[in-house]
Formats: sequence, C-alpha cells, structure tokens
Amino acid sequence: MDENVKKFKIIRNAVIVICVIIILSSIRLQIIEGAKYNRLSENNRIRQKSVAAPRGKIFDRYGVEIANTRPGFYVSAIQSVIDESTLAELMRILDIDVAIIQERFKLQKNPFLPVKIAHDISYAQLSVLEESWDRMKGIEVGVEPLRNYPYDDLFAHVVGYVGEITQEEMIERQEYAIDDYLGRMGLEEYYEESLKGVDGIEYVEVDAWGKEVGTISEKRPIPAMYGNDLHTTLDCSLTQAVALYLEEYEKAACVCIDPRTGDVLVLYSKPGFDPNRFVHGIDEQEWQLLNIAPDAPMYNRATMSCYPCGSTFKAFVALAALDASMITEHKTFKPCQGYYRLGNRIFRCWKKHWRLDLTHAIIHSCDCYFYQLGRLVGIDTLHAKIREVGFGRLTTIDIPNEKSGLLPDRSWYERRYGKYWTEGHILNFSIGQGDILVTPLQLACAFTLFANQGRIPTPHCIQQDENTFHDTHFSQEAIALVAKGLQGVVSSGTGMLARVDGIAVCGKTGTAQNPHGDDHSLFVGYAPADDPEILVCVIVENAGHGGSVAAPIAGKIMRLFFQSQESRKHAKAN
Amino acid sequence: MQKRIDLRIIIAVAVLSLIGLLMIFSTAPLTVFYRQVIWLLCSVLVAIVFSRISPRIWCNLAPYIYAGLIVLLVLLLVVRPGAYPSRWFRFGSVFLQPSEFAKFATVLFLANILAVKKRMQSYRDMFAPLAAVIVPALLVFIEPDLGAAQIFFPIAILMLYWSGTRAAKLFVFFSPIVSIAASFNIYIWVAYFAGLAVFLYFQKQMVDFIYGMVSNFLAGLITPVVWSSLKTYQQQRIISFFSPWVDPQGMSWQIIQSKIAIGSGRLIGKGFLSGTQKKLAFLPERHTDFIFSCLGEEFGLLGVLLTTIVFIYLLYRLLVLAKETKNRFASIFVSGVFAWIGYQMLLNIGMTMGLLPITGVPLPFISYGGSSLLATFMALGICFSISRTRFNY
Repeated sequence: MDENVKKFKIIRNAVIVICVIIILSSIRLQIIEGAKYNRLSENNRIRQKSVAAPRGKIFDRYGVEIANTRPGFYVSAIQSVIDESTLAELMRILDIDVAIIQERFKLQKNPFLPVKIAHDISYAQLSVLEESWDRMKGIEVGVEPLRNYPYDDLFAHVVGYVGEITQEEMIERQEYAIDDYLGRMGLEEYYEESLKGVDGIEYVEVDAWGKEVGTISEKRPIPAMYGNDLHTTLDCSLTQAVALYLEEYEKAACVCIDPRTGDVLVLYSKPGFDPNRFVHGIDEQEWQLLNIAPDAPMYNRATMSCYPCGSTFKAFVALAALDASMITEHKTFKPCQGYYRLGNRIFRCWKKHWRLDLTHAIIHSCDCYFYQLGRLVGIDTLHAKIREVGFGRLTTIDIPNEKSGLLPDRSWYERRYGKYWTEGHILNFSIGQGDILVTPLQLACAFTLFANQGRIPTPHCIQQDENTFHDTHFSQEAIALVAKGLQGVVSSGTGMLARVDGIAVCGKTGTAQNPHGDDHSLFVGYAPADDPEILVCVIVENAGHGGSVAAPIAGKIMRLFFQSQESRKHAKAN
Repeated sequence: MQKRIDLRIIIAVAVLSLIGLLMIFSTAPLTVFYRQVIWLLCSVLVAIVFSRISPRIWCNLAPYIYAGLIVLLVLLLVVRPGAYPSRWFRFGSVFLQPSEFAKFATVLFLANILAVKKRMQSYRDMFAPLAAVIVPALLVFIEPDLGAAQIFFPIAILMLYWSGTRAAKLFVFFSPIVSIAASFNIYIWVAYFAGLAVFLYFQKQMVDFIYGMVSNFLAGLITPVVWSSLKTYQQQRIISFFSPWVDPQGMSWQIIQSKIAIGSGRLIGKGFLSGTQKKLAFLPERHTDFIFSCLGEEFGLLGVLLTTIVFIYLLYRLLVLAKETKNRFASIFVSGVFAWIGYQMLLNIGMTMGLLPITGVPLPFISYGGSSLLATFMALGICFSISRTRFNY
C-alpha cells in the first residue's frame, strides 16, 4: 500500500508539527515568561492590605484628651465580585443608598480590590450582616481606628475634624490611599502630616472571589505606625467655662492667650458643629445644611470673622499719639458735649464727657476726644504706628485659613472713595469704626503689647519650648501710660463689670457698629496688671455695649482662671 | 495470522489514565475521584470485552449501533431530561452523555461505509458518509453542544482522506465554508475566490471547477444578504455562539487564569496538590475542561512535556496501526479513532494555552467524565482487537 505510506507520512509530519507547537508554546509560557506568570499568580492570591494607622491623640495643656481614636467596624466591597442580591441586602441592612456605593466604586480604580463603603456600623447591623454572611459575595468586615472627639462641638473650630479623602484631594496627595482620612480645618489640618502616622501593610491570601482565606507567612507584615500625639496649649476646663458663659448668646467668639508666651488657652467660636458627625462620612444633605446655614457654624469666628474693633482701637490711637510725642497724657481738647462738629456734619459721642485728659478719655471711652486726637495725629502717622501691632496682617497662628482683616491707609481710602474721601473717615477710623476690620485673634494679640512691654508673641496652639515674638518699637513710657488708662477702664470706667477681686485687671470695652443689625459687644483685657498671666478677648455678636455684655463675661473667665490656678498650686503643694 | 495486542498503546493509555486520576484527585472532591476510578475500571472491563470481538463482527454491527445512537440522541431531544441544555441521561447518580457515544458510533459507521468503496472518486461517493456525519452532528448541535457537534467534521475529513479521497477534492468540497467565513470582508473574499479559481483551473477537473466556482460564489453572495437581514441581537448571539472568546469578562478571564496557572508552574511546578490558581478557585472548570492547566501548574514544564509526549506517542502508535492494518474497514476505523483523540487533545491543550478558542472539549483520558472515558475505551477496545488481527485482510 504505497499510497497508505504516503498518507501516513503526511499525517505523521502533521502530528510532529503539532507536537512541536505545543512544546514550544509551553516552553514560552513556563520558562521564558514563567517569572511573569508566577508573579501574576502571586498577585492573584496575595493581596496587600493597608492597615490604617491610628491618628495621634490631641491633648490639652493639662493632658486631657480632646481628640482620640476608637475602634469601629467598617464594611468593604469588591466591585468585580459583588452581585445584585448582595448589594440589595447590604442596602437593606446598612440603610445606605446604592448611589453612594457606586460613588465609592468609582473611586477605586481597580475593581478587584475592596473599597470601604460604610464606616462605624452598629453591633446590631454587624450581627444581621453576619447572619447572611455565607450568601453574600465580595463583602468584607473589619475593624479600623476612627477619630473620636469626646467634647463634641467644644473644640470643633480649633481642632477641626477629619473626613474621607475625596477624588480631587487624592490627585494632589499621591501618598494617600483611597480609604484614608484627611484632617480638615483647625489643628487636624495644620498638623496633618504629623498626626496621620504611617499605614501598615498586611499580606493576606485571597481566593478567586476576593474572600480572605488566610495570612501569608512568606511576607512580613509592616506594622502601622501611630501618628504623633499633639500636646496643645488649650485649656479644656476653661474652654468649657467659656462655652457655658456664652450659652445664652447665639453668635460669639472668645480668645484667651497667655500674653507672655502666646500660648492659646481658649479659641472658641459659636455656633459650632459636632466633628464626630464627619467621621462616618457626613451625608450630602447635612453637609449642605451646615454650609448654607445663615449663622455659619463651620466658620471659625475667632480667626476668620472680621469686625470693626470699636473703642478698643482707642488704646492704639492713644499709643500712636504718645509714641509720636504729639501729645502728653495731660493733653486736653475741646470739651465733649456729646457730639463733635466737623464742617456741617455731626459726629456723636455716647455721652457728654466735658473736659478730659488722655487717661480719662481712655477710661470713659470718649469719642470726641479721639476724634480730635485722630485729626491731630493724622491718618498717615496713625496707620504707620498701628500697623506695627499686627492689624491687617496674619498672626501666623497654627490654624489654617486665618483672615488678615483690614487696616486702611490713605491710598486705600483714595482707592475706595476716590476724591470724595474726607476727614470724616479719619474721625470714624480714630474710634475704630468704619472700614477697619480685625479678627478677635488679632485684637487679642495686639493687646499683648500692653501686657508684655511691647512684645507681641506669635500665637500658637502647640506647646513649644521657644516662643517667637514680634518686638514693636513703641516707647515704654507710652505703653505704660496707655496701660494705666486700661487699668482705669476696669477699676472705674466702662469695663467695671470685668473686675476680679484682689487682682488688677486692665482692659478696654468696645462696641462694633454693625450696619446689618445690632452692634457687636467687645472686650479685651488682661490680668494681673503688673505680671499678666491671661489675656481675654470676647466678642458677642449683636449683643450691644461692650461694657455690659462682653466685659462681665471676660471677668467671669478671668475669675475662673485665677481660681483654678490657685487650686492647681494647692494640688501641687500637697 | 494472529498477533498479540500492541502493548505500547496499552502502556501509553495506562500512563495517561493514571495522570488523569492523579489530577482529578488534586482538583476535585474525593467523591468525584472515586467515581472516576469506578468509571475507569468499568471502561477497562468494557475495552477487554470489546477487544475479544473480531473486527469483522464490529463491521457488521456498525449500522445497528449507529442507528441505536441516533435514536438515543433524538430521544434526548424529545424527553429533554433535566434543565437546559439537555446533554445527559440520568440514571440515579449516573449521568450518561450520548454525544460521546455518538462519536464512537459514527466513527464505526463511517468506517463501515467507506470500507465498501475502494476509492472515493466523485462527489456522489461523499454524500452517504457526509449524511452519516451531519445527522448526529446536527442532533448534538440542537442540544445545544457546539463543542461536541463540530468534532464530527474533522474526524470525517481525516477518515475520508485516509480512505482514499484526494486532498484537493476534499478541499474543494468543503471550500464553501471558507467562502462563508471570507465573505465578511469583500477584499479577502475576492482574493480567496480568485485564488480558488486559479487553483481549480490547474486541477483540470471540469466537475470540480463548476462545483467549486458555483458553490463558493453562492455562499459568498448569500451570506452577507442573510447576515444583514438579521437583527442586531441575533447577529450578536451568533457571534458569541461561534466565538465565545470575544466575550471579555467571562471567557478571556478563564484564558488568562489558565495561562497564569500553566506559566506559573515553570520548570517543575508548584508541587502536587499545591497549585494556588487551582486551590483558590481562580481556574474555572478545574477537573474538566481546564484540568491541563492544573497539570501545568502543579507539575510544571516536565509534567506538560511528559503528558504531551505520551499523547503524541499514543497517536503515533494508532497511526502506525492504521497503516499496518490490512483490513480496510479496520484501518479506516483506527484512523477515525486517531482523529478523534488527536483533535480533542489539540483543541483542549491549545485552549488552555490560549492558542485556540474556548470550545469546552474534554481532554481524553485526563478530564473528568465517565461517558467520554467509556466511549474512548470502547473505541480503543476495538483497536486492540484490530491490533491482534492487523495482518488479516
């Protein structure tokens, strides 16, 4: 069978060719590309799991925890594995919207990796979830450290809050992972780097459905590194007291600092919000509500709200005049008759003061006196001198989004009012009304120069060994003269309600005119007069006169401060 | 002249069956393994019995066996046991897959038909064998089981070739299928058609020329018309039916995981029972269609080479048997068994390595499946019988 032999050879050769192809392609797969496929198979089964590092704690100056972490259960889902019935069940148990889950999936570029879809689920939810565990696909539950604020809204503005990182923020911050939290506002934002810690890495073996089946022993896990603790200069009990004293007012701010060091003891703004709400991802509606609320609870009034500083400004006008040697303390002007006439315009004083010298003009806060003093000194000298106290400039406190306020000068007035700006503006400027704007923090810092012989410390919320100062160039005599007036304000003038028994208090009241409503009540003061330990700045919006609202509150704060100082000293002695 | 059974074939089959048991032990639950052991024992028993029966008797029995299988296939479609798709008869816990036995019966019957004619000369001679193939293929296709249905045709083509049909004639006869495939691109089709015309001209066969030109032209003309009259979803259904590998989420994932499994085995493999792709269920159909991937993962290149070479050796011995066998029916039957085992091996291994599309064809002797194993051993039993009597006319 010749023909059979021929066909046999053809088919045999075909078989050999096929054999060679199979062998060659298996050599290619297993030897040439073997390492690559081996890596792929390892990637298949080994998942790098990020272990969230607990954020550093935040303490007040006496070691009270004002922000810490607590464990919370989270639920994560794998997009490529999760099915319709699991999704439906999840929505039922966790009571979340499918749109939120889809949003989270969109964030996670790799559909084979899990992404957290719910934080801080309750024990009840967890137990229901566990019951239907076997039926659910592509779901994981784990424990993560969650930020906790034991004092709820008390430190909301100064400490800030944390929230899950957004897509836009992730583009800017490459080192952050999808489920990471990011400090927002306050110290949480400013000290983010230090507080965050370093996430650890854990290697787990997973099956084809992404379910963890065990840990990997070949690869060592990298433990998470705790974030650094933050030891602040804040005084928790004093802040609690401030909140209590301001309870009856809707909108207010209070700054207490140690004038010797710039330590911020209290930085309080009202109304506030509960930063704990942001931990599990605040829902859209609530976020909108917080942001568009007319009383702006997210706004830190102590560092971001700008007010005219009212009569508190007179202390600086007097200081500028004395420093420029344009007057002495005995300088008198035309007696105050309750108003001052400039051309055909009338500028009012709040009372008929008759003839006063500089000290008494400060004590009784006579507007007429300062109208004339302002005219005498002139806008340029006033601006040049007062600029030094820090108005119109950031205090560089370690809290983000501080506002710099406004200290107008001649060119600003010309730009603003053109050629029509008149000396009337200077008169308003001289009593701290009109266009001048300061934040409560700026005002507090500016007043430290009276308490501290001209040195203004940089305000800060973190305990530090070395403090930085801004040395002003006012003469010591001028400072002492104004300080004498400030002491008079509290002992016998407009700020008498801020008196503290046995301790000399210096201060100045102010009433910031508010074109939108009732005047804001202001008081800045420090005590004791000879060796100040605390400086208090209180502003209560729409509350009226500084002397009647802000001053008594400041007095209460200082009284409490000295009482607790005393009891601490006793405790130490025992 | 009596001769002893070809021991080399038996050894090759034994090695492959043992590899199969080993891999099923590794990839499937223990009950599945035991079941396969029982199937294998039964199959060996059946093969021994079949090998005792003379090829002459098999030749005479062929039409009845074929008829019986056709009845079974029709019955399967009529009764529709179990859920869609209906591919199995169920007897208690035993599943029987008629399509596997239909391969055996068709090979037997084709050998019977083709043995009658000394030489296939005209197209008329091809009609009977083709009809014998198309009937079971169509019945299996309706089940539906495209993977199993298409296997009948390469087997038939090789048997036709072995029985004496000229390769050129075979090509011309089946060329309309190429024309249909080529008609989706007008330039490719024109080039193909022109090439075919030149080829046919030099064949100098008037009938071939006319048949080839007309059938190819009609196929190329009608296909686009029919295609464009279909609704989009129908077109998509057809595309996904004929080329399931275009579906990216489902099928290509299987191929990728299969290639990762084989590739990650490297030279000596991850070791018996420790394939991670297999263990963690990244591999689909681990003990059936993709069992070769597990073999590649756990035993590496060495395992792949051993298995492939044993397979090729078995095929070679079958081919030698077909050549040496004097009896025409027996020779053609062995060529059919060769085509059957060889084509399934090629499809399955090619699929696991990503060289060929996914068709869901089991790997003979190794994949889990009683019907497949039993049908293959039935055919081998007859081959052993032929081997004993190979020098008898």
